[in-house]
Amino acid sequence: MNESTVFLVALVLYILAAGLYLAFHFSRKAGRARAGFGLALAGLLAHTAALIIRTAKSGHAPFTNMYESLSFLAWASVVAYILMERKFKIRAAGGYVLLIVIALMALASSPLMPKEIAPLVPALQSYWLWLHVSITLLGEAFFAVAFITSLMYLRAASRESRGQKPTPSSDKLDSISYRSVAVGFPLFTLGGLVLGMVWAYKAWGTYWSWDPKEVWSLITWFVFALYLHTRIVMGWKGRRSAIIALIGFLAALFTYFGVNYLLSGLHSYA
Amino acid sequence: MNPFTKFFTSVKLALVLIIVLILASVLGTLIPQDGSAQDYAARYGRMAGVLMRLQLTHLYHSVWYLALLLLLGLNIAVCTLSRLSLKWAKAVRPGFQFEAAGLLALKTSGSLKRPGKIEDGLQAVRRELGLRHYRLREAAHHNRRQVLARKRILGWFGSDLVHLGLLIILAGGILSGWTGSREFLQLEEGQSAAVPRSDFRVRLDKFQTELYPQGSVKSWKSTVTVIEGGRDVFSRVVRVNHPLSHRGVRLYQSGYGWDWTNPSLELWVKKKSDPAFLEKRRMRPGEHVALPGGLELKAGRFVPDFIIGRERRVESRSDEPRNPAALVEIVKGSETMLSGWVFANYPDFRGMHSGRGADFSVELKDAQAPQYSVLEAARDPGAAVIWLACILIMAGLFLAFYWPPREIRIILEENRGKTEIAAGGLASKNRESFESEFQDILSSIRRGA
Repeated sequence: MNESTVFLVALVLYILAAGLYLAFHFSRKAGRARAGFGLALAGLLAHTAALIIRTAKSGHAPFTNMYESLSFLAWASVVAYILMERKFKIRAAGGYVLLIVIALMALASSPLMPKEIAPLVPALQSYWLWLHVSITLLGEAFFAVAFITSLMYLRAASRESRGQKPTPSSDKLDSISYRSVAVGFPLFTLGGLVLGMVWAYKAWGTYWSWDPKEVWSLITWFVFALYLHTRIVMGWKGRRSAIIALIGFLAALFTYFGVNYLLSGLHSYA
Repeated sequence: MNPFTKFFTSVKLALVLIIVLILASVLGTLIPQDGSAQDYAARYGRMAGVLMRLQLTHLYHSVWYLALLLLLGLNIAVCTLSRLSLKWAKAVRPGFQFEAAGLLALKTSGSLKRPGKIEDGLQAVRRELGLRHYRLREAAHHNRRQVLARKRILGWFGSDLVHLGLLIILAGGILSGWTGSREFLQLEEGQSAAVPRSDFRVRLDKFQTELYPQGSVKSWKSTVTVIEGGRDVFSRVVRVNHPLSHRGVRLYQSGYGWDWTNPSLELWVKKKSDPAFLEKRRMRPGEHVALPGGLELKAGRFVPDFIIGRERRVESRSDEPRNPAALVEIVKGSETMLSGWVFANYPDFRGMHSGRGADFSVELKDAQAPQYSVLEAARDPGAAVIWLACILIMAGLFLAFYWPPREIRIILEENRGKTEIAAGGLASKNRESFESEFQDILSSIRRGA
């Protein structure tokens, strides 16, 4: 089986899973969420196979250009979501997280993203590529889960204010948002900032050069630092926390995506 | 508290500083940094002067950005210290000022009665808490025992470790800016140079560009020899991602290029009317050589990557020999037979020729210039400090998020042959799992012999 077929199989499974999860969210029939979970897991297996095939064919980490890293970010988001669902029983978020995953994969498979396997440029020939990129994107995947649960929080809170009783409750969504950030923040700090600095020191001779990508990682980090301090020290919860988490994920997305297309700098691979 | 300390103990100050830093940092990615005055004038017109005076054009190294960072550092230091003394006291000398009623008012709490003496009850409490890795402290008053059981209290200090790490990063960054240096050595094969701020030299023995079969670059390799006191000490290959480290200096493969100031050109002159006419000459720009028949070949300007730039001027787009071109001229006496640009990659292109001798053609067969490798010599005593700080930050984040401290306070009182036990639990994180552990402990104590 070639990579693009397996990739497509994964995408189709995710789409079906998203449909089932959304059906669950609107009908509350638990069987649909269970089936959605099964399909998402099957999709993840196919997606993993696609990444492995790509790695075997190219001989390098599967995130050296936009196509590869989008696919990997989508994969990491599914992993992050599945872990969060198992731990916190938040099946209602599945459909929405998978919508993000589907969007990422659709973007990856669009003609804008060259898919050819290109040999690795000298700057990327390093095992730090594996560590730095995979951990950063995994951190960002947890921010994506926090983004979704924060959006769901805002909706649930507005329904509660009208006297309805949404499930999951806004309280639960708020706490899951926080838990996602609590996983994503250390991962992002380690992968994006610490390992990024170590690699920059090995490759460029300086651990920090105020490159736009570096600055935007720092901005993202600052936003989540705000999230944590307002929450832990000042006791902010709910709406205000949710809004900071939304901004944080958008900053992470810009760091990952926008910087490459809108700003120029050293960090021009993906 | 004096007003200075009060101002800097405020978390609100930290939040304001972080927001200002975020906005400033965003601004710095919108305005191109460290450009030349002309670039800014072309881009921003009359605003350029204002931007430069506000240091927005080298924002991250500006006085005010550094001041913001230092203020945040001071804020972090004061905040951390003021909370640290309380936490430390709580960790080392915890108090036993708690009453049964207070414990039962806690969110996680419970009480029970069990038959038997207070000592038996205490045994059960010790056993059950010990099994779950709690550390116990006890106090006794008359017929009453107090137990303070805690575990993972290091988690309280996670945020302090992160803050300490951030302060060290700030210090390391300042140290790097102050004592670090990055200098670039441009060496041709066989050349050597003194490594700045060190007592050794390096010689470039060989520079190679390896290509993949598809033609893209696989690696740039400089084979260098370290020379100390006039003696070759060792040789090593330096390539991207694999710097050479020697006596506190790191040598990086940073770039390469060609010295095109005086290239050697191979020019072939042909004559259409006479297929046997072929004159090959190797010469340098500015030279002229004689050809048979009273002709003279002159080599003029050479560019490695020909492009027609602004105002229709010939320029070189890069240093790479992507489109080598030379301006040549064939003269006979005072008459110009041919004059124009010839291109190594496009030998038949004559669009830029003039002159009467349509019979002649000149081809640029080869252009060679000495290639050099650029090595970056970096010295950065701040880097080690940064790595230490990173370890502290990661350890701190782990403790803060994944080492949740738990505390259980218990009061035992003997009353008519029975022991009454009241317990309350404190945990700021992972409350659900703490609650179930707590209830587990209570029921085990109730059942326990």
